[in-house]
Amino acid sequence: MNMDLMKPILALILAFTITARGAEQVDNGLLAFYDFNTIEGPIVKDRSGLKPALDLRIRAKGNTRRTNGSLEIIKGTVITSERPPIRMLNALKQSNEITVEVWFKPGNLKQDGPARLVTISKNTSERNFTIGQEVANLQSRLRTTRTSKNGMPAIETTPILSGKLTHAVYVRDSSGNASLYVNGKKVKGQMTAGTMSNWDSSYRLALGNELSGERPWLGTLYLVAIYNRDLSAKEVALHFKSGAQAKMDPTKLAAAQNEHLFETKIAPLLSKHCLECHDPATGKGDLDLSQKLTAFANKDMIVPGKYEISALWEAVAKNEMPKKRTPLSTPEKALLKQWIDGGAKWTLSRIDPAIYAQGNETSGNWIRRLTVREYIATVSAATGVDISTHARALLPPDLRADGFANTAYNLNIDLQHINAYAKLAELIVNRMDVITYAKRFSRKHSFTDKDMSAFLEKLGRWTLRGPLEKREVILYRGITTSVVANGGSYEEAVGLVLQAMLQSPRFIYRMENQFTGGRVGNFELAVRLSYLIWGAPPDEALYAAADQGKLSSPEQIRIQINRMLKDPRAVDRSVQFLSQWLNLGHLANLRPDKNHFPRWNPSLADDMRAETIAFFKEIVWKQNRPLSDLFNAQFSYLTSQLAQHYRLTPLQTGKGTLRYDLTKIPSRGGLLTHGSVLTRGGDDASMVTRGLFVMQDLLRGVVKDPPPCVNTTPVPSQPGLSQRGIAEKRIANTNCGGCHSKFEPLAFGLERFDGLGSYLEKDNHGNRLREDGQILFPGEAKPITYRTSKELMNHLADSNRVRQSITWKLTQFALGRPLGPRDARSMQTIHQAGWKSGGTYANLITAIAVSELFQIQPPENTE
Amino acid sequence: MKSHLNRRTLLQGLGTVTIGLPLVEEMIATNALGAAKTKVPTRAFNIFFGLGIPAPLQNEGFDDVLEPLKPLKDKLLIMRNVDHVRCDVRGINAHFDGATASFTAEPAGGEAKAGGPSIDQVIRHAHHPTGLPVGMVPSLVAGTFFRRSRVGRYHHSYSLDGTIAARMQEKPRDLFDRVFGTVTTTNDVDARTQRLKRSVLDSLVDQYRFYIGPNSPLGTASKSRIKDHLDRIREFEQRAFEPKNKKSNGPALPPRSRVPHGGPADPGGEGIDITLEELKSEWRLLADLYALAIEIDRARFGSITFLAAGERIRLTGKYNYNGRIRYEFNDAAEHRRGGSGGCSHEWWHKFNEKNENKQLRAHAHMKMNEIAYFLKRLDSTREVNGRSILENSLLTLSTESGDGRHNNVKRELSGVFHAITSANGLFKTGQSMDVKAEGIDVYNTMLTAMGSKRKIGPEKREHKSVDKIRT
Repeated sequence: MNMDLMKPILALILAFTITARGAEQVDNGLLAFYDFNTIEGPIVKDRSGLKPALDLRIRAKGNTRRTNGSLEIIKGTVITSERPPIRMLNALKQSNEITVEVWFKPGNLKQDGPARLVTISKNTSERNFTIGQEVANLQSRLRTTRTSKNGMPAIETTPILSGKLTHAVYVRDSSGNASLYVNGKKVKGQMTAGTMSNWDSSYRLALGNELSGERPWLGTLYLVAIYNRDLSAKEVALHFKSGAQAKMDPTKLAAAQNEHLFETKIAPLLSKHCLECHDPATGKGDLDLSQKLTAFANKDMIVPGKYEISALWEAVAKNEMPKKRTPLSTPEKALLKQWIDGGAKWTLSRIDPAIYAQGNETSGNWIRRLTVREYIATVSAATGVDISTHARALLPPDLRADGFANTAYNLNIDLQHINAYAKLAELIVNRMDVITYAKRFSRKHSFTDKDMSAFLEKLGRWTLRGPLEKREVILYRGITTSVVANGGSYEEAVGLVLQAMLQSPRFIYRMENQFTGGRVGNFELAVRLSYLIWGAPPDEALYAAADQGKLSSPEQIRIQINRMLKDPRAVDRSVQFLSQWLNLGHLANLRPDKNHFPRWNPSLADDMRAETIAFFKEIVWKQNRPLSDLFNAQFSYLTSQLAQHYRLTPLQTGKGTLRYDLTKIPSRGGLLTHGSVLTRGGDDASMVTRGLFVMQDLLRGVVKDPPPCVNTTPVPSQPGLSQRGIAEKRIANTNCGGCHSKFEPLAFGLERFDGLGSYLEKDNHGNRLREDGQILFPGEAKPITYRTSKELMNHLADSNRVRQSITWKLTQFALGRPLGPRDARSMQTIHQAGWKSGGTYANLITAIAVSELFQIQPPENTE
Repeated sequence: MKSHLNRRTLLQGLGTVTIGLPLVEEMIATNALGAAKTKVPTRAFNIFFGLGIPAPLQNEGFDDVLEPLKPLKDKLLIMRNVDHVRCDVRGINAHFDGATASFTAEPAGGEAKAGGPSIDQVIRHAHHPTGLPVGMVPSLVAGTFFRRSRVGRYHHSYSLDGTIAARMQEKPRDLFDRVFGTVTTTNDVDARTQRLKRSVLDSLVDQYRFYIGPNSPLGTASKSRIKDHLDRIREFEQRAFEPKNKKSNGPALPPRSRVPHGGPADPGGEGIDITLEELKSEWRLLADLYALAIEIDRARFGSITFLAAGERIRLTGKYNYNGRIRYEFNDAAEHRRGGSGGCSHEWWHKFNEKNENKQLRAHAHMKMNEIAYFLKRLDSTREVNGRSILENSLLTLSTESGDGRHNNVKRELSGVFHAITSANGLFKTGQSMDVKAEGIDVYNTMLTAMGSKRKIGPEKREHKSVDKIRT
């Protein structure tokens, strides 16, 4: 068996085991899960699926008895993690929320202490958390900044336990509301104020006893689960209803595995090897393998459960398919066989090759360094200093990768960065009125440990985008004590601390806890939101919302988004997206052939850039129109020289831009008729380049390499042969036409625009230029004919495929990474939500911000 | 050991560079990195040139395009028929596929990512698992190139996770700064200020260290990024606080580059006009500085690039070789085209084995001449074992496609030109060998010989050792 395949299947089995108790059980935020089904020797396996797993060891195995799906403790022992569960502790401290769920049957109703069911502690008087049995009561203790080291005051039920199987859940939300549920019902509620930031990271997790061995509990454990979020009452009730030992139906499990196999392996496989010929448009042999309906139309093609009589399998096994292409490898064939044999489940509405174009693993979970622009904005927000000129001069520029300059994996670091950060930190502090600034956080100019620590905590919370840990306060305190030791002043000390903070990892990077899995913490979410919308850190209102737990629901997040979108920084951020999406930076480097374009003036490139940005701003911010209108809105913003270049009558003199109504000029209108986009085709206005741009960047189409032995040198126009004529020859060529017919006609509607965007009806050789053509939307069987470029623009603006592309591009920009198969389902949700609500920039940003993709931290090392 | 004459000539290149020799002398005499003085260090560098050499021309030996390498033929193993076909990536042309594969033997992992580590980095991690000595440039990546659409076209040193190993130093001044260091210095402030600045730096080191430690909240990829950051801080620290024992006449900055860099170096794939003199000056400056970095043991791993894959330049100028005019370049005029159609890479597209291909031959010959210049620099310095740096190091010379059909995967990726040096006697030299092997097997054979247990490529793939390249 292929181990690469086994891993996801194993994860799936675990996921289904975990969710077996109820289809709707939410496992987001799950940090550890013990169902006692898997005990290897003295080891109780953590089945949360997170890696590394938090397995526990039974100290005296002989004191326990294993039954099916349970562990009975018949004599005092402890079941404990070998080391402190750092990932779990970090996650809990960060979320400031916790749920601990236990299914158990007490061995007696006399044990007390409380006798530990679950504990994260050191001994009988020092703990982070404990839930236990106190005679017939249930008691829990939680350490916060407002409770004792022993987690007192405790929360305790009245006598409620019997000798029966019991479901107990402790829940505490970020506002401090703590609840105890027994058998699905809330039996006790209490405020446990403060935060969990003071949790001790050296404590271990244990079941059945205190770590020091003095609070043994006897009885049977059936299930223990720990979450870094507050389960709702409904969820708790659902968990109770699902029971402690509900099992997954083996048939359902197999079906789920087969569905998972289809989504992760078979769909990419069909996309890679089959859809070039067997998609709706080409449909060779009347077979379309991109959709369930058509793939199964011929009942002999794929026979679920019977690979040996499936025509698809037969053709692949004999290497008859794919034709004239590399046959499937042995492991790929094995997967196909396994899928058909397992029932050939098909869960996707359509296999979209664009999703698989980048392979299965699009990128790791990379921490995001601030881009140069983000650094400038962050410094400005944190200190009030505009460091843009120096930062742009000193910091190396961020390079594009996968279409954007904020792609996290490519935001690497060099000595030049370190040197620049050091120099910039010094410059920033030199420009600040340090004493006035410090007064925001403390009016005491005191070096005493208490005062200085309090000051540093407040300063750090603001500058470093979230609460400081104790170790950080100690570090910064070290700088201030050095200043004191060297006879320095308070001002000097604060200045040096600021310099250190401005170079610290928490300033330079968007630091997050990547081990939590599940929803990110409130401060992390605040930071994600602010960089999404502003490219800058949160303001005080957003921090306050995070602090008060007011970023928990989509409604609360929407309130913040609506507020934030009114800030001018939101406009700047949207323009950053536009500039990177369309790579407007290329305009600065245009150097058209002087012989071909003797009248080219480099300042036209600036005008083209200004045109596109002004046009975008009006659509997005002034008129609040759907982003699809970018393709056919009949107006633009032109300078007089750009109007002339476009062969329009200038309406103004001088250098500024003016709004031009283009309703009477149907040939021009929409992004694709802007010089900024048309120049992407090069001097020769390449049909291939322009067609590929429309296909790949607007329609998310996928096209293969040209077949071997084809000369790809661009062919120049000549009398009697325009670029369209040349393209038509390629399309008619049996070797080229299969692919070229899919993308070159997309550029036909742009034929009347030369390499620099001027409008012509004849080319240099006198060939008459046309604007009619056809557009084939990926996934569709038949192309749509258009007569004019305006019709083409209208088709693009009306196309759901184009809208999808906009959603994907904006989401990629938001996440700072390319998107792949693992994102497809969430992308569908974002897309539907964003366009259903109007399809404006604000709608899409909101849909992204409230999505799982944006709010969930993918667990490290798990699929 | 080194001769003064070599060092003095080292920096004279085209007569455009002046680096203060006293400082260089001092660096060599006093540097704390002087392992090379008593023991030959393990070194691995990747040398890339754009557009490649068509397989039929490789078979002509040193009679034509490889002529400039002839004086070094006893120190090189020319490997023909190295196959990178596995590196074909759907939807991306073979310029990019071949270039990204050139030292990784794996298909690209993204626009700015390789599919795995490059061989220099595997060797680096095998010999320095915890990092190089402080003060040394961990990986030195430099080059001159004008096609920038994807990083893999020009960048040729990749970390174990496939991301770039170090930032590209494309201007001679940047390379100079990277190696010889002009960081924000604390030498001009008093001892008290130095102490305080040091306390800031100490706090930074502690913070970054936390994020790569056992309690870090970060995952694997992010930790590696923070580790890089910490390494650069340590390097910065070393340079900022090194003792004030330098003489006042430190090395002068190299002259400003005369060729375009950054965005202007690649105007949307349309190519740039450049004279041979401009290109050659830049290359030699870069080669001199890079060679010097190796000589004074500031760099042991990395890559240098002589033009990108699918390069777009319109070259003009007389090419003199050994006192004769080898060719007079004028690409645009000969193509009768402007823009990208007038660029040198069109000669590769037009390559036909039955034709003379004189322009392609001249371009390739000229590039080999520049690479030979760099190699000769490294050959001019003898080390403690009596061999030159060239002979003691693993220098891997590779390229991209070469047969003129950048969309023909089999032609482009199956006959890639390769040459390596002996790495202190580990590999055969003095011959042109038809290896007929996959690049991944060739590289893994090289890695094994260089003492690496790690192999590149899929874990389960059966490794086929190409023993005939080993001594």
